Order: sequence, then structure tokens, then C-alpha cells
Amino acid sequence: MSLLSVRDLQVTYASRAGPVRAVDGMDLDVPAASITGLVGESGCGKSTLGRALMGVLPESGRITGGQVMFEGQDLVRLSASAQRAMRWRRMSFIPQTAMNALDPVQRLRTQMFEVLQERGGVSRRDAQQRSAALFTMVGLDPQRLADYPHQFSGGMRQRASIALALALSPSLVIADEPVTALDVIVQRQVLDVLRDLQARLNLAMILVTHDMAVVAYACDRVAVMYAGRIVESGPVAAVLERPLHPYTMGLTHAFPDVHGGEDVLVPIEGAPPSLLNPPPGCRFAPRCPFAEPACHASSPPLRSGASDHQVACWRAGDADVLRQLAAKPATWAGA
Amino acid sequence: MSVLLQATGLTKSFRMRGRDVHAVADVSLTVAAGAALGIVGESGCGKTTTARMLLRLEDPTAGRILYEGADITDLHGRALLPFRARAQLVFQNPFDALNPRFSIRQSLVEPLRNFGIPAGAHAAHIEAVMQRVRLMPAAAWLDRRPHELSGGQLQRVVLARALIAGPRLIVADEPVSMLDVSVRAGILNLLREARDSLGLAAIYISHDLALIRYVCERTMVMYLGRVVEEGPTAALIATPAHPYTAALVAAVPVARVEQNRAALPIRGSLSDAPLAGPGCAFRTRCPYAMPRCETETLALRDVAPGRRAACHLVGVAS
Repeated sequence: MSLLSVRDLQVTYASRAGPVRAVDGMDLDVPAASITGLVGESGCGKSTLGRALMGVLPESGRITGGQVMFEGQDLVRLSASAQRAMRWRRMSFIPQTAMNALDPVQRLRTQMFEVLQERGGVSRRDAQQRSAALFTMVGLDPQRLADYPHQFSGGMRQRASIALALALSPSLVIADEPVTALDVIVQRQVLDVLRDLQARLNLAMILVTHDMAVVAYACDRVAVMYAGRIVESGPVAAVLERPLHPYTMGLTHAFPDVHGGEDVLVPIEGAPPSLLNPPPGCRFAPRCPFAEPACHASSPPLRSGASDHQVACWRAGDADVLRQLAAKPATWAGA
Repeated sequence: MSVLLQATGLTKSFRMRGRDVHAVADVSLTVAAGAALGIVGESGCGKTTTARMLLRLEDPTAGRILYEGADITDLHGRALLPFRARAQLVFQNPFDALNPRFSIRQSLVEPLRNFGIPAGAHAAHIEAVMQRVRLMPAAAWLDRRPHELSGGQLQRVVLARALIAGPRLIVADEPVSMLDVSVRAGILNLLREARDSLGLAAIYISHDLALIRYVCERTMVMYLGRVVEEGPTAALIATPAHPYTAALVAAVPVARVEQNRAALPIRGSLSDAPLAGPGCAFRTRCPYAMPRCETETLALRDVAPGRRAACHLVGVAS
């Protein structure tokens, strides 16, 4: 049973050149008590999705269709005040740059108290105890609640913004590129904090990232996004070891492994399509070495390929053969 | 192989609260013609400052830099021009490396003019370099402006600009970190090709050991301004000698389900580290620190042929 279930979601930005559908017909299921990675390149709509779920889209963006079922309610049809009430309490957000979550002129204690007392209705006494407990939980010394954000390193700030996100015990946390701005050692430590908290608190988490290695390290499930849609989703092991979509296959050969093994990396030539005027068929077709006429004509739906493993590709039936071809550089050179 | 660039005892220090703090301390390195060296470390380790000193974009507080055997440490202005044509920086962020009002052609002509290449030869240089970075046919790209190009295409132009005057060395500081994953490989492959076909030497600066492994056969690891380990990249990753290198390697995630999820062999955070004074700068975070690590500043010493590390735990008969 999914905690969050997104169906045919559309999010549109107004732009001078016309409406841009950043999320265009997206289906996603997030099970309770697990980490779902949402992976894709810049502009694929992964951050927009996170913001739409949280009700914090920028001025020019709005949800223009679809359904988001969360704990029995459709968030799309919820009033603004009902959505505000849900934010922090049932669902919370960790942004990429912790400075965006933290107020630079307020002590961390003041910011914690604000969330706990004003939004959570917790008494001052309990807020004091809870703040200290939250800091301890994310590996920060509770004495540091007296500090201002600028007195913290990048990693400590990200821990503080995690503590803030967990203050009112939400069931779902959306983390948007939470470790991208951090150095590799701090990155790993923050991922370990997230994994540990997820397990201890039975949280559901959506981890938005561009990095397949971060997904492999920290997530249970993964949804791969391309040009506003999910093209593949399933358990991490299945998607990494037996990818069904040519884009996912390409990604697995496109970046180096620290322990080596690859002779040569294989780039995916070209660039994602403009969302102002996307191609009519499969959006990956213009870059796909396996595209057939049907792929350019109509867009494939997200369907179950194997048990619990979905893919949106007209050639999914040939995936075993395509996967072998995708490992060869020559396959991608001519696309 | 002949030595192209050599630095000895490079140091950059500044005064803070009445004492000298080293941003870079006593870094020595050699780059042979056609070889690629990686400098890896976290923010604040001094890798970017080291690169800027090597390119003579920043003056060292101490140390010497030799290019093809000639000391260039004290050269300035016009006297540096021949070196500038031979050693080029590849910018990290392609989105602000090019003048937005210049066409691609103008961006490529500028270095040719700066380095005194006769106007009659410009077209041939431009055609050749555009072919090298795979922006073909060149005519289709040269009159465009930066905003009409994607990040990957812009980075190809940035690379073309660095290569057009025929350098012997390029220094690339995080050359693909601003690019999407699917196009990074294309740029890395171009850099490898440029090296193979032009015999170009390269210094890559990155926090990403996986990237460094793909493009560099030798690597230096820096921590708080000092080199803590150097050696062949594959060996350094497979069997790290310095405890900091071990933590750095263990921290890199891989895109495989089976991977090391054990707690990192490192304590505390960078902010606990001593800023000055004797002893190993890593001792406050090192799981193996001993009393002598507080008092003795250790130089790099041999671990194995071609491998050196600055740690009491290595280089002694085991």
C-alpha cells in the first residue's frame, strides 16, 4: 500500500514563450517506511515534483492536472489552509542548500521553537527537550542550538535542516538534492544520518538526486525521470542490474566507477527536448539508438515490465537484447 | 619522458590572528610531457590555490615553478605570455566562462590574437579545433552565441578555447561538475583524446576520485594544504596508504547495490582540525592517531615504488 500515490500529474510554469509543462503526466508510488530515489538530469522536473507535493511551487508554477493521494486525501484538491496545516506535520522538505531552510539571523533554537510551538502546538518546556533530542538524533551537540547558522559548517547546517524537517514527526520527508553541495566525506555522513533516521522512525522519504550512485547507496526504490515523466521505476537492485529503459541503460555506462572496470565511458549524445514544445512520441526517442517509427509517433505509458518494475518504452519486450547492445560504445555513437 | 612542469616547495600563506596560516604548504610535483596528474581533496584543501599558483595566476609565498626547465616563478606581465600560450586553464563553469555578447567565433579568435597568431591562420585553427571538440560542421556553430548552446556544447567551446593556441599543458578544475551526467562522459572522452593525439599534459583538480581515476594515471591527495599521499591512481584507490585517503575512498558511493556501507574510518569534522602548529593536520580526525602525531610533522616518504605518503604508519618495515 502506497503512502503517496501520484497519478497523471501535470505542473505547468508560465513563461514568456508560453506554458512549460515541467511535469507532464507523471505516475509515482511511494511506499511507507522506505527511501525512494527520484533521479534525473537538470530540467527533468524532479525538483518541480518535490515542490509541487510540498505546495511550495514558485509564483509562475501551478498544478494543472492529476491527482496526489497522501494519507487518504487528494492534495491537489486541498484548500491552501489545509495544505499549510499538513506541511511540516505530515510532510516536510529538506532543500539542497541548508541556508534556504535556515534563517541566517535567528539562532537555531529560535527556529526549532518556532516550528515546534507555532506549527506543532508544543509547549515551551517540551520544545526545549524535543529540540535537544532532535539535535542529538542528527549527530549535533544540543549546546549548539544557541548558535547561528553561519557558525555551522555545510554538513552541520544540513543536519540542522534535517532536524527541523523531522521536528513534528512527519510520515513523509522530501529531500531535494540534500548532499549535492557537500564534500564527499560529509555527503556520506549526511546520507548515513538520513538512512539511520528513516529506519529508526519508519519514515518514508523521497530523495531527489541526479546521482545514480547516491541512489544505489541510500535508496530502496528508484524512479527515473526524463523530460517531465517517469520512464522507469522499481526496486533499486532490479533497475540497476536489469534496466528496462534505454535511458537508464545509457546512464549506467555514462559515468566512471571509483573502482574502475570500464575501458571507456559512453555518453548519451544530444540533450533533453524543450518542454515548451516536446516531441509527440517518446521524449527520449530523438536520443535513443533503438527508436523505431512507433516511438516517434506516440508516447508509451508506464507499464509493469516485470514484477514491481515499471517501464515506459515501446521496446520493453526486447530489453534483454537492448541491454547488451547498450553496453557497446558504437551503439550510442550513431544516434 | 621529459619533465614539462615542476614545482618545489610551493607555499601560500596568510596572516591570521598574528600567526601564519598555510593555505598550501610545501607542495612539490612533477608533470611529464603528455602525462595526467590528478589533485584530489575536499573544499579548503588547497587544490585550487595550488592549480592557480602552477598557472602563475597567483603568486606563491615560497617555492619555485619551472616550465621546461626555466624558472617562471618571478615572471610577470608580457614576460609570461609565452607560458600562458603553453599552459591553459579549462574553466569549471561553462555558463560564465564565455562572453555572452561574443559569437563562438569571436570567443575563439580572442586567444589567437592574444598569443600573436597571424590573422591569416585563424580560420584553419578554428576549423581544426572545432573538429577536435566535435562541433561539426564548424560553420553551423561559429555564429551562435553562448545562450543558444546547451551546457555540454558550451563546455566543448570552453575546451576549444583552451586548445586553440596549441598548449602543452591544460589545468582543468572540476571540468564537468556543472554538467548533466549524460553529457559528462563526452567531455571526459574529448579530454582523453586530446591528450592521446596531441600529447597534451594535464592537471585535473577534483573532489571526485572516480573522475580522477578515469583521466589520470597519477594522483596527489591533499588535506588542509598538504600533500598526504601520491602515487598511481589505481593503486592509491585499491590500497590507500594514508588514513585520510582511505576515508576519502570509502566515502565515494558507487552505482551498484553491493557496496561498502560500513562507518567511515574518520572522526569529527574538518572544523576540528588544527590550523597551524606542528604535527599531522589529520591527527584530530584519524582513527589511528598516536602521541607522536601531535609533535612530529612528517614529510612524504616512500611506501612502495612510485608511491609516497606522509604518515607514521607507513614506510616502516612491517
